[in-house]
Amino acid sequence: MKLMNGSKEQNIMSEMKDRRVTAFQGAMLAINVAMVSYLCVFIYVTTEQIRAHYSARAFLDNVVTIPADPKMNLIICLLLMGGLAVTFAVRHFWTNIPNSWTVATLIVDFVICGAVIYQLDFNYNGLLLMVFANVVAYVQDGKLKLMFVVLAICGYLVADYNLLSIYMPLYRVSDYIQYYSANAQQYLFSINNIIVSLNIILFIAYCVYVINRQRGTIEEVNQLYHELQTANEQLHEYADMSERMAQTRERNRLAREIHDTLGHTLTGIATGLDACLALVDVSPEQTKKQLELLSKVSREGIQDIRRSVNELRPDSLERLSLEVAIRKMVTEMSQVSDVKIYFETDEKHLKFDEDEENAIYRVIQEGITNAVRHGKASRIWISLKRVDGEILLVIQDDGIGAKEIKSGFGTKHIKERIEMLRGTVSFDGSNGFTVTARIPIRWGETYD
Amino acid sequence: MKRKTVLITAAAVLAVSGASLAVYAGNTRRETVLEFGMFTGSNWDVENANSFIIIDKAIETFQETHPGVRIHYYSGVRKDDYSEWFSRKLLAGQEPDVFMVLGTDFNQFSSMGVMKNLEPLIEQDKTFETDKYFSSAFRTGQYGGNQYALPYETVPTLMFVNKTLLTREGIAMPDEDWTWDDLYSICEQVTKDADGDGRLDQFGTYNYGWLDAVYSNGVEIFASDGSECYLADDRVADAVKFIGQINDLYQGQNATQEDFNAGDVAFMPLTFAEYRTYKTYPYRVKRYGSFQWDCITMPAGKDGDNVSQVDTLLMGISANTRHEELAWEFLKLLTYNEEIQTEIFRSSQGASVLKAVTQSDEMESIVQADMEEGDTVISGELLGRVIEEGRIVPRFKQYEQAMSLADSEISNILQNDRTVDSSLKTLQRTVNNYLQQ
Repeated sequence: MKLMNGSKEQNIMSEMKDRRVTAFQGAMLAINVAMVSYLCVFIYVTTEQIRAHYSARAFLDNVVTIPADPKMNLIICLLLMGGLAVTFAVRHFWTNIPNSWTVATLIVDFVICGAVIYQLDFNYNGLLLMVFANVVAYVQDGKLKLMFVVLAICGYLVADYNLLSIYMPLYRVSDYIQYYSANAQQYLFSINNIIVSLNIILFIAYCVYVINRQRGTIEEVNQLYHELQTANEQLHEYADMSERMAQTRERNRLAREIHDTLGHTLTGIATGLDACLALVDVSPEQTKKQLELLSKVSREGIQDIRRSVNELRPDSLERLSLEVAIRKMVTEMSQVSDVKIYFETDEKHLKFDEDEENAIYRVIQEGITNAVRHGKASRIWISLKRVDGEILLVIQDDGIGAKEIKSGFGTKHIKERIEMLRGTVSFDGSNGFTVTARIPIRWGETYD
Repeated sequence: MKRKTVLITAAAVLAVSGASLAVYAGNTRRETVLEFGMFTGSNWDVENANSFIIIDKAIETFQETHPGVRIHYYSGVRKDDYSEWFSRKLLAGQEPDVFMVLGTDFNQFSSMGVMKNLEPLIEQDKTFETDKYFSSAFRTGQYGGNQYALPYETVPTLMFVNKTLLTREGIAMPDEDWTWDDLYSICEQVTKDADGDGRLDQFGTYNYGWLDAVYSNGVEIFASDGSECYLADDRVADAVKFIGQINDLYQGQNATQEDFNAGDVAFMPLTFAEYRTYKTYPYRVKRYGSFQWDCITMPAGKDGDNVSQVDTLLMGISANTRHEELAWEFLKLLTYNEEIQTEIFRSSQGASVLKAVTQSDEMESIVQADMEEGDTVISGELLGRVIEEGRIVPRFKQYEQAMSLADSEISNILQNDRTVDSSLKTLQRTVNNYLQQ
């Protein structure tokens, strides 16, 4: 699904370089070059004919005006059309052309077209259609596109011979055509009209093609969006379902645990107590032994229940064993803070009551935080040992230490946590910073 | 080593091309060529052997004051060929910077934007005062409210009077403010069959046509842009009727040039150029040796003044000139410099377009030098008045055709004694149809 989206995006991106679009643009350029050259050459040749036939004055009687210098006109127009060919080539053969360059070439096109149209005294303004077509294909920015399009349309409307000839004398190609015999005139007018029409037809075909393709793209996007929405809804359903399944699984587990541990133990105790009732009058000694056994069994049951409850705890931190959780935290902290942290312990099974584990974990977390934040330490050593039935936790760092131990340096929380477990804690800021905590641990015999 | 060679070669090539470019630029700067377009001969359809004298003098003066500038002109283009020659140059974009423009070309060239609009140049030039020109001559260079050309030479139409004939008939010379009635009464008196052969042999006028009468009756025949004609105007009708009355005196006979030459015609309209040419060596023809003559204004109609047609030769600057400043200076030298303009009286047949020159004593002495002893020289004051008040010949495209259409139809009306008013209305419609095609 994702892959398919990616390839479609690429399709949209590469549509600018579409071959058919290139062909259209090339054809329009060719037609316009042909038209401009035809007009210039025609005027130049006709001028020479008129001069050769000494009919200049009679010709002038029937014209509005004439180009200043037909030969120069021809040269300038051909050079300018060459310029258009260059910008066309730049756009098509320069792969990965920056967007700003494309816009720049379009502006150059615009200026060149203006110059050619001016040079031709507005006898042919079809060039603007070509610029318009290029703008539609290349400019993605909505505002810029709008500006270009408005410019091109205004240009097309304003650069009209019939309109402008009211305000200034402009030469007219038809005046030159009318120099020839009626028969030749028909041919010349036809050639003129065919090229102009061809340009317009090509422009319309091009526009229809581009619009069609863009509509195709929009439909594709719409369809993709629809698919995405459906997938999203499905995902929501899956999530709901898996949540419900998890709940059911959890209930089943709870039921099984209760059945396995509590049920088993209680059954044993009940049976043992029944035996005791039967024995108590016959052999008190035997009953005593039996009760001791029952006591042991019930204690084991308590242990089992505790273990079960432990396993059911949802806390993410405590789902891992204490050692794994501490190691994980240490790794994470050294990764994020660029501090080397060494953790060592000689206890094989770091498994204490929940509040004890919590306290140890939080004290270590706080200690590391303090060492990094206040002590600017680069190395931290943490050790967890069993000494005289107590847990000895030492957190030492090579930071700047502290001359006086002030509460509020993060030590307050540590102290509170340890004291809640009836332990003791001491701080030393003379050589780096050292936290030493002693915690009397309930080693599993008691459960209150 | 190789790289060093390449570098040195490149530097050398650059230096050489730079130097040659500098030399080229220096050369082009050293000599600016200003092209001048003119035709040979007179604009006034009279012989003229001295057509280059004024231009050569102007060029010499200009090149002295503008070192590094050369003025080049094409010689040998006749007036009849000038329009075509200029049009061909124009089509190829090789038109001269400064050029003479014919009356029939002026409007077309101005509308085409071929002629430079002189208004900005006139405005910039603080030393240039348009009041120095005769206003009729100056206005001739206007098109669509803008000045596109400056007048160079002007030719008014005058009335030639046979003084000997009038004296013989005991008639006093008419004064400058004379009227149609004066003309008619003189014609009535002089028109007669002197030798009694049954044919008239003495006439009042020769060649005095309806158009001369129209000009002096305060009416225009055409709108200045040629969009319509006013032939049905009462004043035109009056003019045509007046000519009809005079023609009636001749009883169907017409005076000829020979009659005038023989001294048997009292009045003949004549352009100033014709007036001068017939007197100028080597074309001196003593045609009028048998009588004494004088020039006066045309007679005024009842709604007009003593006004006649004034024809002016114009000069303009190409709109595409690369030497606008120089072109303007040269155009000014030709049309605005009193010394050059005085040359017109010496070497051409028209009159200067500058009031100060035409009305100067020097003009009179120059003209006198060409005259027979005893001939009366036209006074600068009179000439000035005739030019200043003169009617400009319209210059729109269809003028010639419209005019020949009107002229032939009016001759027709006069010959066949048709009702003038209604016939002119019909004619006006016909001519307007032609103009609005």
